[in-house]
Amino acid sequence: MLSNLLPLGTRDEFGQWAATKQQLIAVIQAHFKQRGLAPIATPLLENQAVFAPYQMGNYQLYRLLDPEGQTLVLRPDMTLPIARFLSATKVPLPQKFGYVGDIFRVSRRLSGSYNQITQAGVELIGYASLKAELECLAIANQLSAELIDDDVEIELGDAQFAQQVVATLTNDPQQQAAIKTALFNKQVPQYTALIAAYQDQALYPFLQRWPRLFGQPAQVFQQLAQAPLPASVTPCLSQLKTVVAWMQTTMPAQAVSIDLSSQAPQKYYTGLTFRGFSQAGAGYLFSGGRYDQLLANFQAKSEPAVGMGLDVDLLTELALQPSSATPTAVIYFNPDQWSQAEAVLAAQPQARLSLADDRAGAMIEAQQLGATLIDLTEGTANA
Amino acid sequence: MPKTRLKIALTKGRVEQQVIPLLEQAGIDCQQLRHKQRRLIFDSKSQPYEFILAKGPDVTTFLERGAADIGIVGSDILVEHQSTQYELLDLGVGECQFVLASTQDFDPRAPRRKIIGTKYPLITKRYFDRLGQDVEIIKIEGSVELAPLTGLADAIVDITETGTTIRENQLQIYDYLQPVSTRLVVNRLALKQQATSIYQLVDRLSAVVNANAKKEVMPS
Repeated sequence: MLSNLLPLGTRDEFGQWAATKQQLIAVIQAHFKQRGLAPIATPLLENQAVFAPYQMGNYQLYRLLDPEGQTLVLRPDMTLPIARFLSATKVPLPQKFGYVGDIFRVSRRLSGSYNQITQAGVELIGYASLKAELECLAIANQLSAELIDDDVEIELGDAQFAQQVVATLTNDPQQQAAIKTALFNKQVPQYTALIAAYQDQALYPFLQRWPRLFGQPAQVFQQLAQAPLPASVTPCLSQLKTVVAWMQTTMPAQAVSIDLSSQAPQKYYTGLTFRGFSQAGAGYLFSGGRYDQLLANFQAKSEPAVGMGLDVDLLTELALQPSSATPTAVIYFNPDQWSQAEAVLAAQPQARLSLADDRAGAMIEAQQLGATLIDLTEGTANA
Repeated sequence: MPKTRLKIALTKGRVEQQVIPLLEQAGIDCQQLRHKQRRLIFDSKSQPYEFILAKGPDVTTFLERGAADIGIVGSDILVEHQSTQYELLDLGVGECQFVLASTQDFDPRAPRRKIIGTKYPLITKRYFDRLGQDVEIIKIEGSVELAPLTGLADAIVDITETGTTIRENQLQIYDYLQPVSTRLVVNRLALKQQATSIYQLVDRLSAVVNANAKKEVMPS
């Protein structure tokens, strides 16, 4: 095998892509700092057991063995390592964290997907108040406006709604799971066959409409009002109405929708969920929500928590502007002119120092970059 | 830039031939598709649809990567390729069945590890997992019927419409697995980005499929 080949699903980042991505990360980190989020970085490698609650879907883990034969994994998620950290260190709660880091998920071979993804995120741990969800939504709203030009739509949901509804249909956990799976994956032919068993129930017309229960909040709430839903969903619907009203007041320009027919981003979510997408993107830009059982995997006592992850690579794709980081000027100078060259560099944000030993080399460098040459040696002895 | 057109990946070949009449019944102009020559991409000027023709497994890849908004593909391929996109409509065409088939001397209850030839290793594995049997699976790309006839495998898992090819090759069917038909599948995010136009198309096609089903039940 050639020694310069990359492993499947990885890539080098350089040039315009790397410049844009670093710029976005700087904006995100400045935003987190301004909001008082404590920075946190966990290791790339974790014990596999840390991710027991994590739903891999169609992805696989990168696994390796440590010298004692224990299975380690490259983290596929940033939230569970933070839960592991909190459980192990007993850091007093509540805490607000902000992070940027890479996660690793092995996707289907030769599918064109990358296995190393940069994620930024927020974890608000120890907060039971709805204010925690609202702060995440505020961050999502502000950051999407700061990072990309496209309009972003925030979609709200609830991790418990579907379970509360299917629990009124049947006590059989397998049947409940089958209905939810068909609903969440919008496998409409299969879903239609599964709900046929309940066509005598008053809820049946709602069940028929359920896969399409997403869109503008007013329309979704109107459909919900007409359905004989169980009382158990009332708290989550009230909370959704509260959040929609808050968003419409606090961020009136923000597009908001509701989806009560989709699965929560991960199975550890317990309450309100939210995702963001733009018309141009090929994936969700961010997703998050409440997960009050998060620490239960590591300790007896659970803690309330709300978090959100942003897909930095997808944001980079949308934010990519042609040639904004290409140097427009190359400064050629003699070694004894270093201070003068630094002064010119400081005054020209998109210039760079030429390290060529002669003017011809500097000229080639400038031509390769399509930049102008600023020659500080003109009129000097070495020119 | 907001998307204004729906990109539809259509499986070329038999699926394409069976689905074009449905699309036309739903009011979609398919003249370019009918006179495609060697082209693979068709952009209608009069309608908000762009069609691409691709092999079935590639339709799932286009969908997964968001390079197509809608895919029209067999459920066999969706299951085998573990599609995670939304399956909104059974188009009621391309109906066939997965079967377990072999030569007449095959004993499905024989207490030994069987060798199974198939184009569909995942579906085959799931079937034998359900039966609690560990089998050796050999992936075969075509003419699967050859596997038991040449001694390459004890039996095959394959799809059949009428069973004619299986019978003509002196094989018999030992079990029926899941049925197969052509499905309309939608990229998860595209459904959110273009819900109205996607559901308009789905509803028009659904009306056509239901009307055709009624005609089959009550022939005139």
